[in-house]
Amino acid sequence: MEITRQSFTGLDVVIDELHGLFESWEQEGALLSHLDIETIHLFRLAVHEWFANLVQYADFGTQKPEVTLDVIPNGRRVRCIIQDNSAGFSLLDRLEVQKQALKPFPERGMGLLMLNAATEAFDYSETNNGMQRLEFTVSSDADPCLNIPFS
Amino acid sequence: MQATTMNFSIEPVTHDSVVIRVGKALDFRNAAEFKAASQEQVRNGVRNFILDFTNTGILDSTGLGSIFSLYRQVSPMSGQVVFASVSRPVQVVVQLTRTYKVFRQFPTVDAARDTIR
Repeated sequence: MEITRQSFTGLDVVIDELHGLFESWEQEGALLSHLDIETIHLFRLAVHEWFANLVQYADFGTQKPEVTLDVIPNGRRVRCIIQDNSAGFSLLDRLEVQKQALKPFPERGMGLLMLNAATEAFDYSETNNGMQRLEFTVSSDADPCLNIPFS
Repeated sequence: MQATTMNFSIEPVTHDSVVIRVGKALDFRNAAEFKAASQEQVRNGVRNFILDFTNTGILDSTGLGSIFSLYRQVSPMSGQVVFASVSRPVQVVVQLTRTYKVFRQFPTVDAARDTIR
């Protein structure tokens, strides 16, 4: 399986760079060609939500932010690994808190829940060299749902 | 008269209805701007909002939250928020969050205008 790696450093432009990258992948057609367009957009949304979380909340201390995105297409699925040099946080705890706090028509607190709902094989851990590593898969065969209360 | 903010243009349909052309993105970077612009419309008596997603490539959780905020504001006043010309990236968010249960969708802005009028 071919791995495509992209690196990012400037948090102020990382979202524009990310979407520029997806647009070039969609135009070239090769990297994500086995996925239907809805799955590509779902994948793009999941990656965007994580990058948005990094931009808004990650603690990089005095370090220059470093983020890498690995994309590994696998038939009707795509696996993704995002690593960064932030301090990290307890993602499972945060997800549980956000799940419990979800009110009808919430204005905030949906990002990580949306990411979790959109993906499979979701895992977040620290690597041996101190990087934070998020891994997930997005599948064409799933119909994911984030259960937002509407009343 | 059409009003334009940094990312959104707002076009009156009737005295209490407008079309907001969302543009390329509604996400954590401009959701506060969307909220401020739509709140100003509500203060001016607007109750019905047609959100035009024709050119929208990004709708994220914060952007959706700003739409929820607008809905919470106008629904007690019998107002509506409807989606028009929904792009594929936006449709993916609508499907993931099942918000089609709340926001009516129209294939075009004109179809939404005809219903809202």
